[in-house]
Formats: sequence, structure tokens, C-alpha cells
Amino acid sequence: MSAQIAARALTRGVGNLVLGVLALAALLCWPLLVDNVFYQRIGALVMLSALSASAWNLVGGYAGQISIGHVLFFGCGAYASLLGYTWFEWAPMVGAPVGIALSLLLATIVGTPTLRLKGHYFSMATIALAELARIIVVNSPVLGGGVGVSGPALPRSMADLSFISPVPYYYIFGGVLAVLLLFTWQMSRSRMGYYLRAIRGQERAARSLGVPAPRFKLYALLVSAGFTSLAGSLYATMVGFVDPDSGFGILLSVKMVIAAALGGAGTLFGPLVGAALLVPLEEFTNAMFGGGGTGITYVVYGAIIVFISRFAPGGLAEILTRLQAWRARRAG
Amino acid sequence: MKITRRPLLAAPALMLAGRAQAQGAPIKVGTLLPLTGVAASAGNSAKAAIELAVELVNTPRPDLASMPLMATTGFPAIGGRPLEVVIADQQGSPSVAQNQALRLITQERVVALTNGYQSGLAQTASAIAERHGIPYVNGESVATNLTERGFRWFFRTTPIGPDIAAIYVEFLKAARIDGRPVSKIAIVNENTEYGTSIADVIRRTAEQGGISIELQIPYAANSADVSAQVLQLKGAQPDVVIFISYTSDAILYARTMRAQGYRPPILIGDNSGFSDDNFVQTAGDIAQGLINRSAFDPSRPGSNSFKINALYKARTGREMDDTTARMMQGFLVACDAINRAGSTQPAAIQAALRATDLSADQLMIGYRGVKFDDKGQNTKASVLLVQLRGREYVSVWPTETATAQLQLPYKGWE
Repeated sequence: MSAQIAARALTRGVGNLVLGVLALAALLCWPLLVDNVFYQRIGALVMLSALSASAWNLVGGYAGQISIGHVLFFGCGAYASLLGYTWFEWAPMVGAPVGIALSLLLATIVGTPTLRLKGHYFSMATIALAELARIIVVNSPVLGGGVGVSGPALPRSMADLSFISPVPYYYIFGGVLAVLLLFTWQMSRSRMGYYLRAIRGQERAARSLGVPAPRFKLYALLVSAGFTSLAGSLYATMVGFVDPDSGFGILLSVKMVIAAALGGAGTLFGPLVGAALLVPLEEFTNAMFGGGGTGITYVVYGAIIVFISRFAPGGLAEILTRLQAWRARRAG
Repeated sequence: MKITRRPLLAAPALMLAGRAQAQGAPIKVGTLLPLTGVAASAGNSAKAAIELAVELVNTPRPDLASMPLMATTGFPAIGGRPLEVVIADQQGSPSVAQNQALRLITQERVVALTNGYQSGLAQTASAIAERHGIPYVNGESVATNLTERGFRWFFRTTPIGPDIAAIYVEFLKAARIDGRPVSKIAIVNENTEYGTSIADVIRRTAEQGGISIELQIPYAANSADVSAQVLQLKGAQPDVVIFISYTSDAILYARTMRAQGYRPPILIGDNSGFSDDNFVQTAGDIAQGLINRSAFDPSRPGSNSFKINALYKARTGREMDDTTARMMQGFLVACDAINRAGSTQPAAIQAALRATDLSADQLMIGYRGVKFDDKGQNTKASVLLVQLRGREYVSVWPTETATAQLQLPYKGWE
């Protein structure tokens, strides 16, 4: 009997491993398999969206602290990169550490007081700070004002990371994402991971068992802010332009939340899966219906999100779990 | 000129074939428009104009024979192949504009890109065209820096900041000579690339011309309320107010000023929002005497502008506004260059664009012509001033070309 269970677990383990290897191989080869530049760019955008959603996932998914102002950190990264170019003619990525440092500082400022509290204070503080940042930027000509700031119009050297093909961006974004996912995986198996899950489950109970909740929530926020800022810098490097709406717009925060929630918040690959569905959905609905000028793009896009939240509020991870449970019931 | 002979050759063919169909695979030109978001109204007006342009190119129109490609069918120099436009929605996002530019270039295989609307978006989309070596013809974005980037594939037909500022300042100087006070000037501008750059260049030109700008109020175009800004104006009592706005905010200002009963002696509403037919229809009645700039004056019967406007009106039920006309002209310049290139090779089209030399009578708009400098800027772009009467703009300045008498002060809702 136990041998049978062990064997079943083994086959499932091997099955998962094979599936994982296949998925990884597909991710690695994707841009080489499609020679279509537009699809390659969508691939790069998926990686970028997955990166910011995975970063959000650390604090929003694992620690259960819903931030709706994560664009604050994204904008810091994007602006640091392009302002570095505008002021000092730096290559855009040279500004990235500055953006990260600024994001860590802001994360500490917003996190230290609000993460001590339970409930929605943290969410509200993040929205407020992100909007505040947007308004400050809009009204500061030195930060580009409402006009925005541009990167180098034409690449000056390799350091500008300005490529004609989207493939290098795909691998750069994917590489950073891999580092983040590796960190998340390690963390979820370490003490910090257990602490965060305990906090998400029932913060009061976790605290009464001695979990230093505010401190670990802040740690999660700091890592999350750093990676989100890096995603912002990478975005700015690729697009070469950022204005208050594309850098600090609340819609971007919401997209991070949606991508993570769609795939399954608090799961390792949830945000990646969510981004892999949302970004192409957005691009293809726009490509198909956008030229008609009827605005149907958003109707289709919105309807799909509504359906998902109606029938699978836990995201795709939940559907997968349900499917597995159903199969196990049938097998049992 | 070859073009003047074409109608004679085309006319018999037209009689035989009726609506002759263009031959061969279509040649695709891409157009990026804001079809959703805050600028959707302008984008959809432009969409109708671009579709009209395609129809005009693809069917013989002897009545418009003075304009290139009109008397003939499709691209006569490329075997009469028809023109096809691929319209993409840039959603008002710099990143989406790039995605769509890339899609049009690599998926749809367009031979040229046109328009873009918001300056910031024309900027990011044209960067993609530049990297892929595809000609980009912009007909409407006015931010000066677009043609200062050293791009080799970017061309712009519209008058830009300095041209626009020059006509305003000339006008204000003339008003001062007429004895109207113009010592206190306020600029109210939306705070993105468009509003900021136009405001800056007006300020500089005005100060060089000995007129100082007393007050500048930047605001966000998506504001839901502008009463604070109007109160600020009411308090300062300037002699001249210059608005630089998009459509929804222009309407909001007109309504708020009506609600607060505020009317400056001279009110200038710079183009974009104030030219939009939506503004004229919804807020025109409370903004009588508003002065606007325009390059498009369809009020003279028999002119190309008049005919194009009539066709557009038959199609949409609306008058063509200046921004739409500039976008359509930009698109037509791209088509003309493709035909003169005699090929769909990007380099040949680029060379043809560089060699463009259209005269005023070959255009549908009031420029002195189209001829690009080394940076890709049209050196023959020009502007005139129009004034809102009823629900129409009439041209009032410079007086040599004006079709109506300038009326001051600003009437508003009276």
C-alpha cells in the first residue's frame, strides 16, 4: 500500500519534472521558434509584465499585503534610468541602481508605519504615495513634467542596450525574472516563506506564536520594491520614453495585480502564467479590433477578466488544483 | 508636370471602365491613431479622413486633378497597384504605439508609417520605424524635438511651434497697433509635450517681440474640474488668454467660463481641442469669437480644401477640422512619395520623400507647399488665423487671404 503511494508520488514527481523541463525549454526557445518580430516583442513584454507581477507577488501574494501602488517603484526605476540619461548622458541601465535605492527608501517610508497595522492601511498608503509621485512629477519641469523624458534617440553604444530585435530584451527580462523566481522559490522554503504564509493566513495567530510580522512584511516589501524598480528601468531602456501616465499611472499597478491574481497570487509561477495570458490577450485584441475605432478592444479584454474573476477568483492555479482534485477523485 | 496631363489620359478610360478598379496586390501604408482614450474623438475623425484619402487615391477623381494621385487609379508609377491602409490604435500609450508600429512593419508589411497624433507617441513609434528603416510621415505632431533627433526616416509636414508662435505674436502686435491692450497675456496649457512645447515657444517668441507673458497655468488634460484655473484667470484679468488644450478639456474650459461668467477681451484657443468638431458642436455656441489657428480653410468654393471638405462632410456629416486635415495631408504626401519612388523599397521611398517639392495648388491644405529640410521638417508649412462664427470657423488673418472680418472683443455666449 505505502509502496503504491510512494510509486504514485514518484511518477507524479517525475511527471512534474518533465513538465517543468519542457516548459523551461519552451521559454528558452520561444523567440527562436517564432521568427516573427511582433510575436518576439510580445514575448519580451510577457517577461517584463511577469517580472513586475512576480515582484508584486512577493508582498501581495506571499505576504498577503495588497499593494495597489506598486507603480511607484516601477516609475522610480523608469525615471531614474531616463533622467540619468537626460541629465548626465548615462546609459539607461546606469540609472537603475539609483532607482532601486530610491525605491527601497520609499518602501521603508511607506512600509514602516503602515505594515505595523492590520487591514487596508497599507493598500491605501501605497495608492496615495503612487498618486503623489505622479502629481509631483507632472508639476516638476525638471523631472520632465507632463511631457515625460526620453532616452537616447539613437543607440550610442552597446551600453545603451538598444536593439532592433526584441530577442535580446526577451532574454534580459527573462534572466532577471529567473533570478527573482529563484529567490522566491528559495524564500518560500526558508523561514521567511513560512513566516509570510503564517502572516497571510492569520496575522494575529502568527504574532502570538512569535513571528516578527512587521519586520518580515517589510523585508518582503523591500525585495519586491527593488525588483519592481528594476522592471521599470528595463521598460524605460526598451521603450526609450516615459511620461507620468506610463511611469506612474495607476492602471499599471492594477495590471500587476491582475496578472498575479489571474495566474494565482502567492504561487511561484502564477504571475508568469497570468502575464503570458494577459499580455498577448491585450495585444491581439488590439491588433484585431483596435483599427476599427470602436473601442471593442477593451470590451473583449474586460469581459475575459470578468469571466475569470467570476468563475475562478483564485486564478488559474485554482483551476489547476480543482482539476487535479477531480482527477484524483476519479482515480481514487 | 506630368500630373497635369493625366486627367486627359484618364478621362476616356474612366468613361469606358466606369469605376475602374486598381490592378495588382495592394500597397499597404500604416497609420497610428488614438482610437481609444482621451484623444479618441480626434483619432476617429482622422480615421474617416484617411479612409476618404484611400478611396480618392484608388478611384479616378478628375475634379481633384491638381493633386497628385487623384486623377488616376492607385499608384500609376507602380503598375496601378491599389493603396490599402492599415489603421492601428495606439491607445494613448507610448509602449502600445511601439508595439503597433512594430506589428504594422513586420506583420502587415507596410511600406510607410504615418501620423501618431500625440507627440510623445509619434516619438516612440518613429524610433521603431527608424530602427527598421521604414519611412515615417507625420502630419500633425508639433513638438519641436521630433525633427531634432537626427532621424533619417522621419518626415513632418505640419507647421510646428515656431511657425505657430510667429503668427500669434504677429497678430497680437497688430492688435496692439489697433489700440487694443495686449500687455497682460495668460497662457493656459495642458501639461504634456504638446501644450508645454507650444506654450514655451509662444513665450519665447512673444518676449522677443516685446510682449511679455504675465501668467502661465499648466494643467492635466484629463482633469475633471478646471474651476480653480478659471478663477485664477478671473482674478488676474489678462487682456489676452491663450489656451492650448485637447478636446475634452477645451469643452470643460468653455463650460466653466460660461458658468463663472468670465470672458477675456481676446481669447485664443490653440488648434487641437478647439478645432475638433466635437468642441465646435458642443461648446461652439458659448465660445463665439474664439480665435484659433488653422492651416485648413475650406470656405473658398472651388479650392481643393473646399472639395475635400465637401466629400468628408458627405461621408461623416461633419466639417473637416484642421488637425484632421493636417493628418490627411501628411498621409497623402506619403502616398505621393511612394508613387514617385516607383517602388515599394523603403530606401526609394525615403529618397522620394527627400525630393518632395509640392506646390500650394497640389495640396488639400493651405501650406505654401511641401519641401523637407535635412531634418525632415516641411519648410513650406504655414498657418492662418480663424475665428469661430456660429458653428464654423472663418479665416480672418492675415488680412490678405482672409474671407471674413475679424470681430473683437470675444463674445462667448452672447
